[in-house]
Amino acid sequence: MVEAGRSPNIEIISNADLLALDGKPGKFTATVQVRPRYIDAEACTACGLCTKYCPRHLVDSYNEGLAITRPIHIDYPQAVPATYYIDPSACLFLQHGTCQICVPVCRSRAIDFSQKPTDRKLAVGAVIMAPGFGRVPEEALTKYGYGKHQDVVTSIEFERLLNPSGPFKGEVRCISDQRHPHKIAFIQCVGSRDLGCDNGYCSSVCCMYAIKEAMVAKEHDPECEITIYYMDMRTQGKEFDAAQKRAEEHFGIKFVRAKVADVTPWDKGLKLTYATMDGSHGFTGYDMVVLSVGLDAPTDASKLANIGGFDLNSYDFCKTTTFAPLESSNPGVYVAGAFQGPKDIPESVTQASAVAGIATGMLRNQRGKGVILKSYPAENVAEGEVPRIGVWICHCGINISGVVDVPKVTDYAGEMADVVYFSDSLYSCSQDAQETIKEKIKEHKLNRVVIAACSPRTHEPLFQETLKDAGLNRSLFEMVNIRDHCSWVHANEPEAATRKSMDLVRMGVAKARHIKPLPEQTVPVTKSALIIGGGVAGMTAALTLADQGFPCTVVERQDKLGGQLQQMLYTLPGDDVPTFLKNLIDKVKKNKLIEVLTSAELVSTEGFVGNFASVVKVTRGKDIVEHTIDHGVILVATGGRPHTPEKVLGQELPKSDRIVTQQALEAQLAGKGKNRAPGSVVMIQCAGSRGDDLAYCSKTCCNEAVKNALKIKEINPAAQVIVLYREMRTYGYAEDAYRQAREQGVLFVPYTMDNKPLFSDKGKGVKVSYHDPILREDVELAPELLVLSVGLVPESTEELSKMLKIPVTADKFFLEAHVKLRPVELPVAGIFLAGLAHAPKPLDEIIVQAQAAAAKAAIPLVRGKVEVEPIVSHVDQDTCIGCGICVSLCPFQAIQMHKIDNKRKAETIAASCKACGICAAHCPTFAISMGGFTNEQINAQIHAFGLIEE
Amino acid sequence: MAQAQDKKTGAVMVVGGGVAGVQTALDLTELGFYVYLVEKSAAVGGAMAQLDKTFPTNDCSL
Amino acid sequence: MSKEAFSPKILGFLCNWCCYAAADSAGVSRYQYPPNLRTIRVMCTGRLDPAFILRGFAEGAAGIFTGG
Repeated sequence: MVEAGRSPNIEIISNADLLALDGKPGKFTATVQVRPRYIDAEACTACGLCTKYCPRHLVDSYNEGLAITRPIHIDYPQAVPATYYIDPSACLFLQHGTCQICVPVCRSRAIDFSQKPTDRKLAVGAVIMAPGFGRVPEEALTKYGYGKHQDVVTSIEFERLLNPSGPFKGEVRCISDQRHPHKIAFIQCVGSRDLGCDNGYCSSVCCMYAIKEAMVAKEHDPECEITIYYMDMRTQGKEFDAAQKRAEEHFGIKFVRAKVADVTPWDKGLKLTYATMDGSHGFTGYDMVVLSVGLDAPTDASKLANIGGFDLNSYDFCKTTTFAPLESSNPGVYVAGAFQGPKDIPESVTQASAVAGIATGMLRNQRGKGVILKSYPAENVAEGEVPRIGVWICHCGINISGVVDVPKVTDYAGEMADVVYFSDSLYSCSQDAQETIKEKIKEHKLNRVVIAACSPRTHEPLFQETLKDAGLNRSLFEMVNIRDHCSWVHANEPEAATRKSMDLVRMGVAKARHIKPLPEQTVPVTKSALIIGGGVAGMTAALTLADQGFPCTVVERQDKLGGQLQQMLYTLPGDDVPTFLKNLIDKVKKNKLIEVLTSAELVSTEGFVGNFASVVKVTRGKDIVEHTIDHGVILVATGGRPHTPEKVLGQELPKSDRIVTQQALEAQLAGKGKNRAPGSVVMIQCAGSRGDDLAYCSKTCCNEAVKNALKIKEINPAAQVIVLYREMRTYGYAEDAYRQAREQGVLFVPYTMDNKPLFSDKGKGVKVSYHDPILREDVELAPELLVLSVGLVPESTEELSKMLKIPVTADKFFLEAHVKLRPVELPVAGIFLAGLAHAPKPLDEIIVQAQAAAAKAAIPLVRGKVEVEPIVSHVDQDTCIGCGICVSLCPFQAIQMHKIDNKRKAETIAASCKACGICAAHCPTFAISMGGFTNEQINAQIHAFGLIEE
Repeated sequence: MAQAQDKKTGAVMVVGGGVAGVQTALDLTELGFYVYLVEKSAAVGGAMAQLDKTFPTNDCSL
Repeated sequence: MSKEAFSPKILGFLCNWCCYAAADSAGVSRYQYPPNLRTIRVMCTGRLDPAFILRGFAEGAAGIFTGG
């Protein structure tokens, strides 16, 4: 977020509403009204004095009403923009013309009650709607006693209770009397899967966040007993089932499949009454009940739709299609995030990248015309200058200063040699702190900066950017971690933590004395992509990249394009897949920027981001031709295929033509037997997934089963269809189809792993027996057909993993760089990921992911160069004796030998170097230095360590 | 009522400053476009700024 | 021997990618451990010249921890 606040190419217009949108794609005019903040954003320093003096109380909506703030306030200290604002609905002056205490209090005279709403007209080429989600209706909450009993809270309120910046500073306490709850219940599907409040869909995220909140609460208080009441645990996301297992086995969280009837007061606490599947009732006492609330459409959805000229679906979310999931019905207006349908953070982030990709593809000709290139002042520090060090010690709110004596550490820093400026800082990462740092650098002519705060792994880039803004080389910076490595881990030993902070600061300053400016290096980029896999993901990515104007080569192992999608004939919402696929293949083949190589395989890849060279082997009959392709980025879209389990539910699969997979059934229902459907079918879900054979949930099988069940009912309404399942994971809008199937008489019967269905075929047809928990008896059937939902496996990821040095999970899917925030990037720079090779997912999610991966892959191609971190190794050519030890040790082939004046010398290839330092540690003549980690610097740190007083 | 005119080519408007909106804005700039990020409330961040930790990395969500 | 008396000075070299990251996440999860360790971040423990370790002992470290 701070990143968005700092970008010169993002103007944040907050406290503003969209009033009108006119024009056409490429040429829209948007009218935006900015409401007054009553505070001059330029003048406000976010000091907070006004909030202290404001006499009026206001319920703090950022803290979900669990805390009190004032009408003049800021939501939270790291807010962007970091400007206070006045809530006009509660301000005494704006309501009653009195008070105005804040005006003289503000030292920077920022308060301005004369502000009026202003309208702005913005010329834009495209509009992206990302208004997020709204709250579920009140009645969905009140039926569980919310509003009547204080200790019935929503999951969002509970999230605030868990948060260190929340109402009880991270302690979970009952709202009623502030006691620590010993027993907590979570109720799932509040405001979701509930026609009572017109929310028929599943919100897709509540099961997982309930598990997360329960685990965090257990970490806070291991003695606390937590029970989750649910209908189906929908943990279909990547690695989510494993998290549920950990919650159950490691944290002892209980999961009870039951519908909660009501919550009533009982003694000091609450009584929760529930009904289990077999119709029996029970009740249990709890101290606190958490309602896992769903995601509703935003309250202003219909207003936005009117202004934006696009359609909503029946639930008031933005209406889109399976094949173009991010395009609204109005061309040029796109959608991303929860407004497209309830979804979790990784899917939102993926959609965000994808929508940026398709919108900029449409506006390709305007690229670069509106951007402001950020320029930095010339770097003004010459090497060898006497160090003038500035030190800031961060409070991090109370995260550090709650334990460490920050003023004492600050004074200590001030006594050190070469430290010419020192100060503490409430939040050194906030935007106003960056301004202060810049000012002080100039004022005191600082040429080294040390910040003692949190981790350089997350915050170093931010401070380095500030240094650049102030005309300092970004390498002249050292960060000391006194939060993650000190205050947080020595919370009960404030004195020792303070001493440790002082030592760490001393070591940081010692290093800072020896740091030197390092030159920035860039490497040019080959502006093309290699896409591995010619299925729907690979083809979509190729078209998205071509729309951006970049050429790419698609490598497909089979003799034709299409991949697994060739097997899919229709979707759950009823889309015509074969026509879509045919059009997609035609588009790819006709596009002049896309080269397609079928019957082709990747043999080897060398290089690094921006400069890859790959060898592809193409088989044409008896001839094998090898192509060498230079490209800047790689997109991995190798796909998956249906699993072929050897055993299902612990039973050998009998040879029988009456036992088929969902995919085979689909072919049968759409093929020659179009008008014939079997009269009786039993489907078994998780036949191979979720711990049976594969460890994970294959995500798509529940939808596939419902899809085929509905198709059977459409062809033959009299058919008997029974689905044996563990949990129906028809998340999102697929819940509607699940409900429709039940209404049409499809029977859904749950089974458990300790009471599995049995099946056999001894040549006289299939027999299936199972336990029906509703009837509470065993049932034996002889259906015409037994259909297995076999799940999905990735297609040969291990080979590629070795070739490209990209990691795979225990389940053999590729592992992305960061599951939440970098979902389509791989840890190796320049390699991107989409489709089933990442995890099982339905068609619309594959299309979005491919668009997102292509958008991310286009970024280095648009830039035309990649920047190299200046911390790489450097070989001093005079000292190097050409022994070559470094070359043999380098794990990244980043050092080469070459001849200068007939002498062998080593040289670093900066773009390949990962800065590990093995070469520097082994160089017999100390000719190799590591930027930012020189011998001199490390020795100074060790020496400063030695000065610890005992 | 004051009126400001912004005439620009190569700009895109993003409505909503939650995690999706902010990520979209960042990617748009990386792809060579100027962005107006229009947010209803006083600060960007949306629901994610309220979260304590996010599964499974438990990163601070800011 | 009283328990308080023993408070060794320990010097740690942490790899940026694994051990330093692990120490960060120990902080995020609020794991508590004794406050005797002082750390130096390196980009990889491959950077460690054995001389650093010897120098650490010479400067009075009771123990040296390398995490990578």
